Amino acid sequence: MELLLDFFRGPDGITLLSVYHAVLRLSLPILALFIVIRSARSLLGFRREPEVWAWLRLATGELLPVTHWENLLGRKKNADIVLDFATVSKNHAVLTRLDDGGWTVTDIGAKGRLEVNGNRVLSGRVDYGDKISLGGLEMVLEPVSRQEARLQANSRTKAGKGNSPGLTLLLLTVFQLLVVLELVFNRTEDRMTILTAYGILLGTQWAMFIGQKLLKRSGFEVETVAFFLMSIGLGICASANPGEMYKQLIAMGVGILIFLVLGFCLRDLETAKRVRFLAAIAGVLLFLANIVFGRSVYGSRNWIYLGGFSFQPSEFVKICFILAGASTMERIVTRRNLWSFVIYTAFIGGCLVIINDFGSAAIFFVGFFAIALLRSSSYPNAILIVVGVGMLAVLVTAAALAIRHFPHVANRFAGYGHIWEDSFNKGYQQTRSLMCIAAGGLFGLGLGNGWMQYMAGAGASDTDLVFAYVSEEWGLLMAVMMIFALAMLGLFVVRSAKVARSSFYTIGASAAMSILLVQSVLNVFGTVDFLPLTGVTFPFVSNGGSSLMSCWGLLAFIKACDTRQNASFAVKLSDEGGGKS
Amino acid sequence: MKSIASRTYFSLVLACILLFGVLTFAIRYFLYADRWVSFTGSPHVYTNGRLDTGEIVDRSGEVLYSSHSKQLYADSAKTRKATLHLMGDRAGNIPPRILRAYASKLFGYDKLNGTAAMELSGGELRLTVSAQVQAIAQQAMKGRKGAVGVYNYRTGEILCALSSPTFDPLDPPDLEKDNADGRYDGVYIYRFFHAAYTPGSIFKLTTLAAALDVDPGLADETFTCTGERIINGERITCPKAHGEESLQDALANSCNCAFSEIALRAGKEALSAQAEAIRIGDNLKFDGITTVRGNFDLSDAEDNDVAWAGIGQYTDLINPCQYMIYMGAIANGGRAAEPFLVAMTECGGRQTYAAEMAETPKMISAQAAKLLRGLMRQNVRKMYGAVEIPGVEVCAKSGTAQVGADANTATFAGFLDSADYPLAFIVVVEEGGAGSATCAPIARAVLEGCINVLDGER
Repeated sequence: MELLLDFFRGPDGITLLSVYHAVLRLSLPILALFIVIRSARSLLGFRREPEVWAWLRLATGELLPVTHWENLLGRKKNADIVLDFATVSKNHAVLTRLDDGGWTVTDIGAKGRLEVNGNRVLSGRVDYGDKISLGGLEMVLEPVSRQEARLQANSRTKAGKGNSPGLTLLLLTVFQLLVVLELVFNRTEDRMTILTAYGILLGTQWAMFIGQKLLKRSGFEVETVAFFLMSIGLGICASANPGEMYKQLIAMGVGILIFLVLGFCLRDLETAKRVRFLAAIAGVLLFLANIVFGRSVYGSRNWIYLGGFSFQPSEFVKICFILAGASTMERIVTRRNLWSFVIYTAFIGGCLVIINDFGSAAIFFVGFFAIALLRSSSYPNAILIVVGVGMLAVLVTAAALAIRHFPHVANRFAGYGHIWEDSFNKGYQQTRSLMCIAAGGLFGLGLGNGWMQYMAGAGASDTDLVFAYVSEEWGLLMAVMMIFALAMLGLFVVRSAKVARSSFYTIGASAAMSILLVQSVLNVFGTVDFLPLTGVTFPFVSNGGSSLMSCWGLLAFIKACDTRQNASFAVKLSDEGGGKS
Repeated sequence: MKSIASRTYFSLVLACILLFGVLTFAIRYFLYADRWVSFTGSPHVYTNGRLDTGEIVDRSGEVLYSSHSKQLYADSAKTRKATLHLMGDRAGNIPPRILRAYASKLFGYDKLNGTAAMELSGGELRLTVSAQVQAIAQQAMKGRKGAVGVYNYRTGEILCALSSPTFDPLDPPDLEKDNADGRYDGVYIYRFFHAAYTPGSIFKLTTLAAALDVDPGLADETFTCTGERIINGERITCPKAHGEESLQDALANSCNCAFSEIALRAGKEALSAQAEAIRIGDNLKFDGITTVRGNFDLSDAEDNDVAWAGIGQYTDLINPCQYMIYMGAIANGGRAAEPFLVAMTECGGRQTYAAEMAETPKMISAQAAKLLRGLMRQNVRKMYGAVEIPGVEVCAKSGTAQVGADANTATFAGFLDSADYPLAFIVVVEEGGAGSATCAPIARAVLEGCINVLDGER
């Protein structure tokens, strides 16, 4: 009971103002919980019954359903279409559905024993009615009837059914209004900036929502999660340095632009493949520019200053890296563009050693690992393993170099696990973080009321230690909610993979998600002394333009794997299961 | 696609690591947040480098520490010196352990609301210690090094926990200059809790308990002391030949010959078991204090070593606080109350902590305890007249532990066999000469002080 009363107590006892703040403090985590739960139910609740895109009729009259856009045909057990005949290779062929609804078949391990209508092919188009022969086993590709297609389309779960994204966004809007109400009270001198900034945020999210409605797209949960995290990030900015709110918003604008452009490019694979080439070149140029013009901040030469603007090239290279690594199944199994990816990885690894950015090296390593893991799923790939070991070596070298040459990095590693023994020096950042988390309690001290704001900027409280900053002012519950939101997106990516159109999207989404998650792990664990501090940002929340833009870019890959009926603008509209796009 | 899809579980693994880490952290938060928030330098509770916790008072309400006062510590220099090790010093050479442990309770921190509803002026912490008794003990020690402890074996309240030497925290010595004669050697150590001493003959109370456990008939036997015994070629001597003696006489005479025999009769196993029962090798943790471990190790001992160990020499080490509890257990029939220093804390007019009584594990059988009570009472009657207090049954045993060529640690431990004053005590004086001669007057002065305080509370 007394604990409850304490909840409403302010510095002058229980007053009208203290009750007002208490109600706000309580409302925010509850609203956040609703927002996360509604998004989760919508993203995770869809049924994922296998869809049939075509049939393969065997000579015996048996009908085999083709349930993916990319299908591995072979004798091995985890092939998509298992053909248990002695004459069929373990990995025999890949049957791929194209964007235009047509099909191709590619020889991957048949050693010339693949024929279409009696002609030996390595890779060729297949039309409905064509006879395909795998090592003598004959089958005919047959279309799905219009009626079947319609039935499938109808039984597919529509995005947002039962959990309207509009309502979730409305909840988020209420959340943001309450944030503003609290902030203008505690930061009266910056009232106008705060009002304008949140106004722009609100305007942007609703404009995007309406824009997607106009494109007849119904899913907005992924964006809602991003805007939810951004609302917290902007609140941290308002508390730490209101002047930087506009900078964050500009970064958000650019980020959303990247998100939209990338999303549209990902709509069809041919465009995506072309963009990939450009992106790969852009990545190279960015890192080269970094090495030539880069400036050293805290030991890592990972910043470029350009006419008043500063940015971290490595943030953007993440996107390029994923584009370079993603690939369609026939290319994976025929090992096309494997070498370009390997060379690209080696190049990035080399750049990171020169730039001496241990945090980024760790993130790229996880990104690489995610891609390599997926790419080697059909073939254990010796080359990727070798490159993986190489990347790990890069990581260790980067860490070793950093520790050797930069006392602050050495301090971080030396202080790790012993922060309380040297709380004014090596353990300063983490001990202050834990003190502030403890001070915040479950509901926080109120936005703008914390102490972490005095450690913003050089002390990195609004970037590397943002988990503690949020805990102190917004409460531990809210900080945990940010984690839930990200973990939920991770679960969504995994569930979507089973109904993915192409391995290109699966690899892209999985790698992007892995990067976002590992950033969160490094950020949060570094703050609470589970790992040494690596100076990595928390996605969408930490203050930092480049990081925010890159997060929006990564989000496009996640958006592109949303194959619920007409959910994502990054997927072409279709009203029928197997019909034309 | 199937195999590719299944490998996206990598993202899920990362998500699980993240969630697991956050869960682990949440648990740590609920375990340790109060420590974090009150750690030195915490920006929320420290103003100008000082923890604004409020006041610490002794059991009579005398202010020992106040974060509101400029000088922090008690008004009288006498009290400041007598409570130095409890309160800590400004330089941090003696950490304020109790204050640290209870800081979060003092300003009303709670893990739900954080510091949002904190009482910024702090609260009050009431100790079980009596500043008056501490001062008596401090003066009785006359600057000699050692420790004096008294506690209520029925409730667990520690009335006296003095460490000597000491100094006035408002006028700290400069150890570079002021310690030429060594008078401040180890002054920062809280000897009562953090020093381990060779016990000497007070350890015979442990040996006897072990032997009685093996052979209860021992109580009625007689021993013959010729002034020396050779065990394994090693001489164990008494100051003189005690001749025929009962067990009562053997303890009163503190006869080494008799007790070397008793130790060997008890055997390694029973001796070690008894040492374990009285927790010699453990460290007790309470109220921010962790006592230092003692030592009783017979793993490589020959018979002569066992004999020496039984009379409190060999590698034996005891912590004064630990041994005082054993005295309480003898007095109380086998178990005593666990000791504590902090009676309660309050903040904003409401209690945020109240000590709860706990009992120790069984340290000695009720029968043996009864026997030892009688023997120790007789000891005082016959040998330690200096500690007799009219109207109260004082029970005790002295010890003179040889720790160097001519350095003896004087030890004296016992209790009052009294329902009104259920107090156990221990006095240790380094380089103190003969145990009872040095320690008995100190014990008496301190016990009388305690009786006065308890009478005053009635």
